[in-house]
Amino acid sequence: MLRSFIVALLTFAALANARCVQGSRTLVIYDERLSVLDNYSNLFNSMRERDYTLDFISVANETSSLQLFKGENKIYDNLMVFPIKGKTLNKHVSGKSLLQFSLAGGNVLAVSSPESLSDPVRLFLNQLGIYPSPKDYRLVDHFQKSSDGIRIGTDGLKNRFVYKPYDEEEDFFITNSSVAILDNREQLVPILVAPRTSYASGKGKDLWVSGSQGYLVVGFQALNNARTAWVGSPEFLSNSNHQSNGILAKELTKWTFKEKGVIKTNGFRHSHIDGTSYEEAPYKIKDAVNYEVSFSEWNGEEWQPFEATDIQFELKMLDPYYRLNLIPSHRDETYQWYTTGDFRLPDHHGVFTFQVDYKRAGLSLVSVSDVKAIRHLAHDEYPRSWEITNARVYISGIFAVIFAWVLFVIFFVSTSKTTKNFNTEKKNN
Amino acid sequence: MSVHKNDGVRGVILPWVQTLLTVTIFVAMFGAAISSRLFSVIRFESIIHEFDPWFNFRATKYLVSHSFLEFLNWFDDRTWYPLGRVTGGTLYPGLMTTSGAVWHLFRKIGLPIDIRNICVMFAPAFSGVTAWATYQFTKEIKDSSAGLLAGAFMAIVPGYISRSVAGSYDNEAIAITLLMVTFMFWIKAQKRGSILYAALTALFYFYMVSAWGGYVFITNLIPLHIFILILMGRYNSKLYAAYTTWYAIGTLASMQIPFVGFLPIRSNDHMAALGVFGLIQIVAFGNFIKSQVPSEKFKIVMVVSLLVILGVGVAGLFTLTYMGFIAPWTGRFYSLWDTNYAKIHIPIIASVSEHQPVAWPAFFFDTHFLIWLFPAGVFLLFLELKDEHVFVIAYSVLCSYFAGVMIRLMLTLTPVICVAAAVTLSKLFDIYLNFSKDEKKLDYSSLLSRLVVSGSFIYYLYLFVFHSTWVTRIAYSSPSVVLPSTTSDGRPALIDDFREAYYWLRMNTDEDAKVAAWWDYGYQIGGMADRTTLVDNNTWNNTHIAIVGKAMSSPEWKSYQIFKQHDVDYVLVIFGGVLGFSGDDINKFLWMIRISEGIWPDEIKERDFFTSSNEYRVDSRATKTMKESLLYKMSYKDFPALFKGQGQDKVRGQAISAADVEPLDYFEEVFTSENWLVRIYQLRDEDPEGRDLHDVGLFERNTKSARKRNSKKPSLEMRV
Repeated sequence: MLRSFIVALLTFAALANARCVQGSRTLVIYDERLSVLDNYSNLFNSMRERDYTLDFISVANETSSLQLFKGENKIYDNLMVFPIKGKTLNKHVSGKSLLQFSLAGGNVLAVSSPESLSDPVRLFLNQLGIYPSPKDYRLVDHFQKSSDGIRIGTDGLKNRFVYKPYDEEEDFFITNSSVAILDNREQLVPILVAPRTSYASGKGKDLWVSGSQGYLVVGFQALNNARTAWVGSPEFLSNSNHQSNGILAKELTKWTFKEKGVIKTNGFRHSHIDGTSYEEAPYKIKDAVNYEVSFSEWNGEEWQPFEATDIQFELKMLDPYYRLNLIPSHRDETYQWYTTGDFRLPDHHGVFTFQVDYKRAGLSLVSVSDVKAIRHLAHDEYPRSWEITNARVYISGIFAVIFAWVLFVIFFVSTSKTTKNFNTEKKNN
Repeated sequence: MSVHKNDGVRGVILPWVQTLLTVTIFVAMFGAAISSRLFSVIRFESIIHEFDPWFNFRATKYLVSHSFLEFLNWFDDRTWYPLGRVTGGTLYPGLMTTSGAVWHLFRKIGLPIDIRNICVMFAPAFSGVTAWATYQFTKEIKDSSAGLLAGAFMAIVPGYISRSVAGSYDNEAIAITLLMVTFMFWIKAQKRGSILYAALTALFYFYMVSAWGGYVFITNLIPLHIFILILMGRYNSKLYAAYTTWYAIGTLASMQIPFVGFLPIRSNDHMAALGVFGLIQIVAFGNFIKSQVPSEKFKIVMVVSLLVILGVGVAGLFTLTYMGFIAPWTGRFYSLWDTNYAKIHIPIIASVSEHQPVAWPAFFFDTHFLIWLFPAGVFLLFLELKDEHVFVIAYSVLCSYFAGVMIRLMLTLTPVICVAAAVTLSKLFDIYLNFSKDEKKLDYSSLLSRLVVSGSFIYYLYLFVFHSTWVTRIAYSSPSVVLPSTTSDGRPALIDDFREAYYWLRMNTDEDAKVAAWWDYGYQIGGMADRTTLVDNNTWNNTHIAIVGKAMSSPEWKSYQIFKQHDVDYVLVIFGGVLGFSGDDINKFLWMIRISEGIWPDEIKERDFFTSSNEYRVDSRATKTMKESLLYKMSYKDFPALFKGQGQDKVRGQAISAADVEPLDYFEEVFTSENWLVRIYQLRDEDPEGRDLHDVGLFERNTKSARKRNSKKPSLEMRV
């Protein structure tokens, strides 16, 4: 059944117009001993509707060849890993190769469960600073009314770019979940946090985490914009919880596989305020210039102008000399342009970096910089002496001396004949 | 000498013969001066030498490809990144403009010569002029026979050749010529009281100011000359005319050089000239009064006014300096008087090898037998003690001291050594080579003594030529960019690692890549590799240099942060351990540490780099700080492996084993030259996953331990 499924999908994929920015070739690794795919049909169907090409490979089937790379190129754009029985995924897929996949720009959605956390996945997640609770650790919360699971309100949602709830009364239902602790690196994008009253422990084992230091769903965006997400329980995504978690699960796949929260820039330009470019007239100190940068956001179908109020421009040489909030200027179909307005370059020559470094958790990272020299004033660019009122005293002094000297010479020459004797005498002294 | 032999010849042809001989001698002198400086081109190639010349060369190229005004306003964004350098306002443009003018001249007359060849041949060409100026100078001091000797000495004396071989395109190449021309005109001016010569002195003084920072020497020597003469009671109106003309024109002219600017009226180095200028006015006025009033009254007037003037002058100088109107003495000046000053206060000055005190044998090495004729010459001048002799004496006393303190000033001492030695020798020859007829009877013992004395001195002259040639060939012709060596079977070979590495940088890195290296190599990287540097040999910003020093002496992660902050892409280190090249970065390391310790005494400590028994070690007994420092890791990376586990450092004579050298995680080796002299490392990109590069390195090296460790609960900071 699965095979025909894949064939059908592949043919479908050929016609597909992908929704994700990067690519929609997706591999789902699962273990048929643990997961029944039909339990997740809602999730997969919604992905298929969004033109994903899904390959399913069960690691229980020893003969199945599991390859992420062909030579140096990755075969898939996205990877979903469901819980696996046993320690390894496959001899071709180690923690290192998962990391390599991510470093090569691939997106990974890893799902683990308290019953199984395979070594490669754990190793990979640990490298990202996500530390899921080991086997047999479960999240429990004795303050919850129902004993079959944990309900978390929208206050547990931590990132609006991943999922912004329409309804503040929304609840997410968690059963049988691992929980992860995170380190403090900025690439981590916490998505769903554990309730304050919960904790995770195994049978007769130490506490793994307690309270809101634990996370149930975590995103990660690397500097190369590859995304990874981890979900602590497969039930979270299953059809049985579709009622409560379906939308979040869908938005999570959207975010992880770069259908949303993706922004880019079409570049920047800066020039003198009269439009003269740097190439025509290099900047000198105290020149008035302006700087513009464009931003565009992927809405799942096309690029559209991206709107934000917190984009900043920096002019720095070791330290920022300027940090300006950018204001929206003009826009076209695809791009929103932001401008600094006119500003005056610092009174300091040097090699400056014109930079916009827009990094927000949940959005792809945009950083553009341009290194340009700001020169000192040339010898003829200072105000002339007669333009400085203070200098007029000295100028008149100079001319007075010149005038007096000319007069002296005239008198000296015209009178020297008659006083010749006196002059020679003086010289001899 | 030749002129003297012809003294006895009479008749109308005498002037002709004399002229012919003089011309022949001068042609020979020029020939000797230029040809002996060509050893470097013949033995190596036509290449710019050493460090500073590379900057001068680069600036000259900029000058000939841009207009003069663009050159004057040049803001160089490829050095001192990211500060940049206002190059046009911080260099002495005399050298570049001269060679630029020569280049344009040759083009005008249809001889388009590559600017590099002009720069390489610049110093030899000017050395001939120096010899001529020395001749003229000595002629004013004694006579033309002494002048010829002095000129000939000047042409081939190694002390001068050391800075003026072909390819040594340094400020000194032209500055010594200008120094001698200025002095020559000054002697003429003060002898004759000629305003014309004084104006010429000022003109060449201006040229000198535009060419070399050593102009301060003239600025102080001429006033000193006048001051001594006044003290000796030898004031006359000639001195007044010469000095005031020179000072007025020379000072105004020197202020036109952007780099000098208002220094002549603001810096203490120039105050002597200003003071003497004031003094000579007073003395002139006093002289005038003396002629008008009786002498007893004049004495009282003089004593009182002298005391008042002295008091007011000294107090004024102190107040102005204290209030900041006059710049205090510069560090280089202090280190002239207190040889330990620089070592304690300004390590960057002490770190330059040419600022070190001179070793005594160097005097003989650089001037051969002239050095012991020199005191005799000074003594002979003392016996006569004319006004101009005072100048030579003052010059020789001052310079002997300075040369003893700072080896670089040997260069300014050399001309006066030549002059004084020539005076001695010509005096000697005046007596012992005088075979004229006035003595009727033949005295065999006298003849014999003459023959012995003059014979032995002629033999010394021969030895001098021999020595000069040998020194020039062996010691002073190496470009230091290319190192001479011998192969294992004794054939000469060239070690060309520097150019190999710079060429690699030029061809394999981004055009705007930033290269961090110790400042010694800044000019070469800029000139040969054409890449942006952080620091270079124009050591104007001590802090910026200290930053590089700090990065080199810090542990990797810290260095990485520093370099990243400065946008560095590549780090270049010089390592001589394989070759036995002792001028490498590990040997310069202590200076890096000292300079950065001066700025960050809490982070860098020189003590930490010495073992408990106070040894500077790089082998297994080296300190932890030493082994963790970036420079150590970069120098010795893979070095033990080259010798199968135990590498013998040929410079330090210590054995480095593989366990001593920890792996580099933040930097990646991209290039190592043939003899390992130059090693270039690239900064790794930050890890996209946000891990420490050290952790990445650990992970790559050892997956197993990472796996084990991670199954436990990690100890993490609370997430906020």
